[in-house]
Amino acid sequence: MTDRPDLAIVGAGPAGLAAATEAAARGLSVTLLDERAAPGGIVYHAVTRSPLGGTTVLDADYRRGTGLVEAFRSSGSTYCPNASVWAVDRDGSIGVTIDGQARWLRPRRVLLATGCMERSLPFPGWTLPGVMTAGAGQILLKDSGAIPDGPVVLAGTGPLLLLVAVQYLRAGARIAAVADLTPPGAWQRGLPHLAGAFGCLPLLRKGLSMMAELRRSDVRRIPGVTGLRAIGTDRLEAVEVRQGERAERIPAGVLLVHAGVVPNIVLTRMLRLPHRWDPRQRCWRPDADAFGATGLDAIAVAGDGARILGAEAAVHAGRLAALDAAHRLDVLDRAERDRHAAPEQAAIERHAGLRSLLDAMYPPPDGLAFLDDDTTICRCEDITAADIRAAIADGCRDPNQVKAVTRCAMGPCQGRQCGQTLARIVADATGQTEEDVMPPRARPPLRRLTIGDLAALETESTP
Amino acid sequence: MERQAWALVDGPAMAPSHASMQTRGSDVIVVGGGLVGAAIAHGLRGEGLDTVLLDEGDIAFRASRGNFGLVWVQSKGFGAPWYQRWTRGSAGEWPGLAADLAARTGIDTALQQPGGVHLCLSEQEFEDRGRRMAQMQVEAGNFGLEYRMIRRDELAEMLPGLGPSVVGASWSPYDGHASPLALLQALHRAFTEAGGAYVPNAKVTGGTAAPNDFRVETAAGTFAAPRIVLAAGLGNADLAPVFGLNTPVRPQRGQILVTERARTVLPMPCTTIRQTGEGTIMLGDSMEEVGFDTRQSPPVMAQVAQRAALSFPWIAELNIVRAWSALRVMAPDGLPIYDQSERFPGAFTANCHSGVTLAGAHARLLAPMIARGVLDPVLDPFSAKRFDVPRAA
Repeated sequence: MTDRPDLAIVGAGPAGLAAATEAAARGLSVTLLDERAAPGGIVYHAVTRSPLGGTTVLDADYRRGTGLVEAFRSSGSTYCPNASVWAVDRDGSIGVTIDGQARWLRPRRVLLATGCMERSLPFPGWTLPGVMTAGAGQILLKDSGAIPDGPVVLAGTGPLLLLVAVQYLRAGARIAAVADLTPPGAWQRGLPHLAGAFGCLPLLRKGLSMMAELRRSDVRRIPGVTGLRAIGTDRLEAVEVRQGERAERIPAGVLLVHAGVVPNIVLTRMLRLPHRWDPRQRCWRPDADAFGATGLDAIAVAGDGARILGAEAAVHAGRLAALDAAHRLDVLDRAERDRHAAPEQAAIERHAGLRSLLDAMYPPPDGLAFLDDDTTICRCEDITAADIRAAIADGCRDPNQVKAVTRCAMGPCQGRQCGQTLARIVADATGQTEEDVMPPRARPPLRRLTIGDLAALETESTP
Repeated sequence: MERQAWALVDGPAMAPSHASMQTRGSDVIVVGGGLVGAAIAHGLRGEGLDTVLLDEGDIAFRASRGNFGLVWVQSKGFGAPWYQRWTRGSAGEWPGLAADLAARTGIDTALQQPGGVHLCLSEQEFEDRGRRMAQMQVEAGNFGLEYRMIRRDELAEMLPGLGPSVVGASWSPYDGHASPLALLQALHRAFTEAGGAYVPNAKVTGGTAAPNDFRVETAAGTFAAPRIVLAAGLGNADLAPVFGLNTPVRPQRGQILVTERARTVLPMPCTTIRQTGEGTIMLGDSMEEVGFDTRQSPPVMAQVAQRAALSFPWIAELNIVRAWSALRVMAPDGLPIYDQSERFPGAFTANCHSGVTLAGAHARLLAPMIARGVLDPVLDPFSAKRFDVPRAA
């Protein structure tokens, strides 16, 4: 493996796989770094080896991932699984540990294709064992086909919640209830965006059929949920679901929560790239042009890590970023780049139409709405909302100040989980809007790295 | 009487509405809410002065939040015995400061002063260190300097898990450490609870200066006082000249690593390795001349890690939790600068790269001098006039 490839890509999800395939086809030397053991990212997790791969539990969209992986495997790119990226420098250098050896790569260009993560939605009791995100529940299912023994409650909003509910149902799980956090009137809100979504008819159909499948089953749906509480001493025993004034306790062994997805911006925050607030998706995303180029010359972004448009759009965005990399490395002239880019951009537009519909139907919940003063915000350092508010009362006006005083967002996840909620609380307590307050800075290392690993860092190694 | 109006180049032009806005008057304005400014403001409030502390927003470089946390005496002031005395004096004031802050705020600054060591990883380092400490003892004169050069065998009994590469160390009884973040928070809380006015997001953009009559414009309003203290860290370089002061400070980058909590207990701090009250190990600190660049550089971080792993092999097993870098506020000779303006009496400046070590002196020695309006002669050698001396050709 060379330490100086033309293009290093971080993340082997749809954007990273498509970008590597395209860039290699244009003649670039490509190294794809991925922290997982197998390609596919979150959305196509374990796509090539899931025990459920050949069944109807997981659908055809999921199996489409195998095509992406096969194209990548035959592209001539260098593939590094189990590679944990712990730092990226503004000049494009990458600190990564591969097979226990820390290395410092210096590619000519970097594409960050780190995808999305589930929006953190702290509520009382959310740190109890037995409570997890719907995405984590889906990964358990994809990895091992495992379903929980006890009753399962799903709570949240958005298409992934629906998908996981249907997948659990098909796998034979006992679903006690689906607590819907979506504000009433989803279809009325979606109507003006419906025509724009017709470009993605197959996905639209898939959503409708999942809704129908769930309706046909006898799974109980609780609409208009305004409050959640996980109850239990050592682990989850019940879920308290509130609809306005009305509260109900539902016995449960597992609670799967999903409040939509947001770009995983921990790397771009560490790089201090400019970010912009997306009011409709209620999240921060790195500022980038149509090709994913950022404010830093050597660094581009693609896929859901740049903007949430879904897995299929990420494939096109990955190709666009690869075309731009080829152009910037002088193997593709501008006109050629633009000619090849046009169909990819048109495809992304179609997915943006579908996304507008989804954003309107499933507006992300306000991070403040479900927590109380005793709710843990920062899991790594065990910091509550009250701790954060006390620091603000002491004079802190900014998440970085709160971080210094409370240690909130200082732990191993570097604010990946709590950063946005911390910013939201600061905005609320200081009379600012969400748009005014960025999550705090992230610091390396972003992944496990010992002093001994770092001491043995290879900064120059033979190809 | 001379009066000068000014505006900083990157600040907004002074809007006419500012003139009509209400001005907040006080006895003294402190510019800069970091460790230096907060310690002085806390001390001034303790002297009974109506004190306004102006702080920047979060874009400030914030050396205070990147501090390593040593209360360090040995080796400070080589060739400058006045600095040796000032530093030791501050270490002596620290227990009183820590107790005062704990009583007022309930915040434990985690001060420990068990003495400290500087580890030497080669015979050459050990010899050089020995010569340096001996020279400083000579320079200390009657003031004295207690230290010992300790060989490996004895040192291994003092420090658990010492690496075979360590040949010895210098030891002094004066050294210690504290939590910089707890100190900063405690100073702020003590200051505001005693009635001090803390104003965030108040970067100084302009104002007027006249002897014992100062007015500053900030985004948070206009402030006026007969006295002003410039403690804005690297910001002082631009701020000082308009008050007839000279503070030629530059940034020097230091990188720090902090590990997960360790089971082993280090009984005393070392120059570049210390264990915090929480049990984590902090490693530092590089000295790099890279301008206003607060990125981390892994090759430098790797060197810090290598040295730590040689000193204490058990540290190699620990996970790194965080790495960061911050900018020291460095004068050309590395010493603090304290001055009162001759052109505009009442304007003071305080600059140093040891905001934790010198917090005791700033709160309990310097602040009373500023309150009296006169800096003691012990601070004369710290005047920036030392940079005016024409260099020998």
